[in-house]
Amino acid sequence: MTQSPFSLPPTRSDSQPPLSLNPRAPNSSIAPGVVQQVGAQTVGWYRTLRDLVFMLFAAVGSNFVPGKAAAEVSLGITIRQIFFTGFQALPLVSAVAALVGATIILQTQLVAAALPGEILGQILVAVVLREMAPLITAVVVAGRSGTAIATELGNMKANDEILGLSSLGIDPLRIIVWPRLAGTVVSVLVLTVYFGAIAIISGFVVSLLMGVSTIGDLQGGFGDALVPWDLPLFFIKGVGLGTIVGWLPCFFGMDVQGSPTDVPQKASLAVVMSLLACVVFNTMVTAAFYYIVGPPGR
Amino acid sequence: MMNPSVPPSFRDPHEFIEGGIEIDDVTFRFGAVQVLNMATLHIPTGGCVVVTGSNGSGKSTLLYAAAGLIAIQTGSVRLGGRPANPVYPSELLRHGIRRGFVFQEGGLVSNMNAIANVALPLRYHADVLGLTLQDVEQRARAALSRVRVLESDIYRLPAHLSFGVRKRVALARAIAMEPNFFFFDDPDVGLDPDTAKLVHEILVGYRDDRNVTMLVATNRDLLIDRLQVPGYVLEGGQITERRRAAY
Repeated sequence: MTQSPFSLPPTRSDSQPPLSLNPRAPNSSIAPGVVQQVGAQTVGWYRTLRDLVFMLFAAVGSNFVPGKAAAEVSLGITIRQIFFTGFQALPLVSAVAALVGATIILQTQLVAAALPGEILGQILVAVVLREMAPLITAVVVAGRSGTAIATELGNMKANDEILGLSSLGIDPLRIIVWPRLAGTVVSVLVLTVYFGAIAIISGFVVSLLMGVSTIGDLQGGFGDALVPWDLPLFFIKGVGLGTIVGWLPCFFGMDVQGSPTDVPQKASLAVVMSLLACVVFNTMVTAAFYYIVGPPGR
Repeated sequence: MMNPSVPPSFRDPHEFIEGGIEIDDVTFRFGAVQVLNMATLHIPTGGCVVVTGSNGSGKSTLLYAAAGLIAIQTGSVRLGGRPANPVYPSELLRHGIRRGFVFQEGGLVSNMNAIANVALPLRYHADVLGLTLQDVEQRARAALSRVRVLESDIYRLPAHLSFGVRKRVALARAIAMEPNFFFFDDPDVGLDPDTAKLVHEILVGYRDDRNVTMLVATNRDLLIDRLQVPGYVLEGGQITERRRAAY
């Protein structure tokens, strides 16, 4: 029987048949319990990964479930989520972006004051646009909205709100998970562009105030460093990081087992795992792009 | 007869559904506790059953399982002949299976006011049910009025409502969907005598409706006496028939 993963699930450790490994078997050279612990941990991670992947596909798939009215309700919630996650984060992202752009120029001058103006433009492209903008935007959204999403969903789960929706034939994946997922993807993508623009403007302003370059130098360096491959790199990072900071908090929020005391633990886990996943994803994508196309601008 | 306002891809939501609630050999374990152990219960279409049991015996879990709200470990649960727990719950409604579930604590969406809570499922299924936005509001107001929720309460968030009003809003949310499978988890606990009497009358109404299959979990003698339906007891995770005299 196909079953929703978001109904009150059995606990992972007790709902499954016992592991077949038996460290107490005759002639076992491994300390009793160690194999069981490692095995149980591995099985636990496997199940978490399986449920995570299932949730992502089921949430995306929920959009293909018939129901025009349901799609309208879901769209309305998605738009509100974009407002909360994207629009309301603008002041924070602006401040962080401006400071990051300024700091990079200041540090560059401290390390290599004699660098020509074009190099500063290239550094802004390489460091800010390719790395800092997507990653820091994702970190800001994870810290701000990821916590909120995991806590909200955790409380909804603990208070039987999710079960209440399911009982009325409402798909939680469609009106709870998908809008938050879509909201963070759109928000991170747009905020990344915004972050990049503010950081570069800030870097330009600081370098001009310090008198280390002219606008022409910076524009020249900027133009030299920017290559067509930057567009897919930027897009993949934005969508991927946006997915991570929506997906993991939704998963951990929905994983609350019915006790309110689970909520802060899951929210904390959601943010930590999101940040870790963002850094790993960002590094992997950068490595993959540089492996495929070589250093841009070469 | 098909309702002309319902898109042809959907089954008429008001069509009579054959097959009641079929719970077969269901087991459910929560942590180290075996809550349901090969539990079996069949309720025919239009039937009503009361399940009693001591505190912590698993009555609520049985209701969740029967309504397809929890993932059982073994066995099967069918509503109207269909698996009760599909990945997308809306699938049931598109096949004419409308569940109503009144939770002990209400289970209302906390960031929506009372009328929005009642209207949400109607809006979500407006095309399947053939409702306009006006119909949705009208039906939501009618349901709230039926359970005597005051006009001054309908724009309040659940957190700003008393327990009894929250429970009535939850009941209104369920009855607004005109369910043909109704589950009540201690429906009159925490209610004042007048409201409890109102809830009993509503339950008796559904008991007599041959289109509604109903499962009630309660230990309240007054409600059991009012319903006068077959009684079962949940003990040790298993469901056994209970003689009426034992009430």
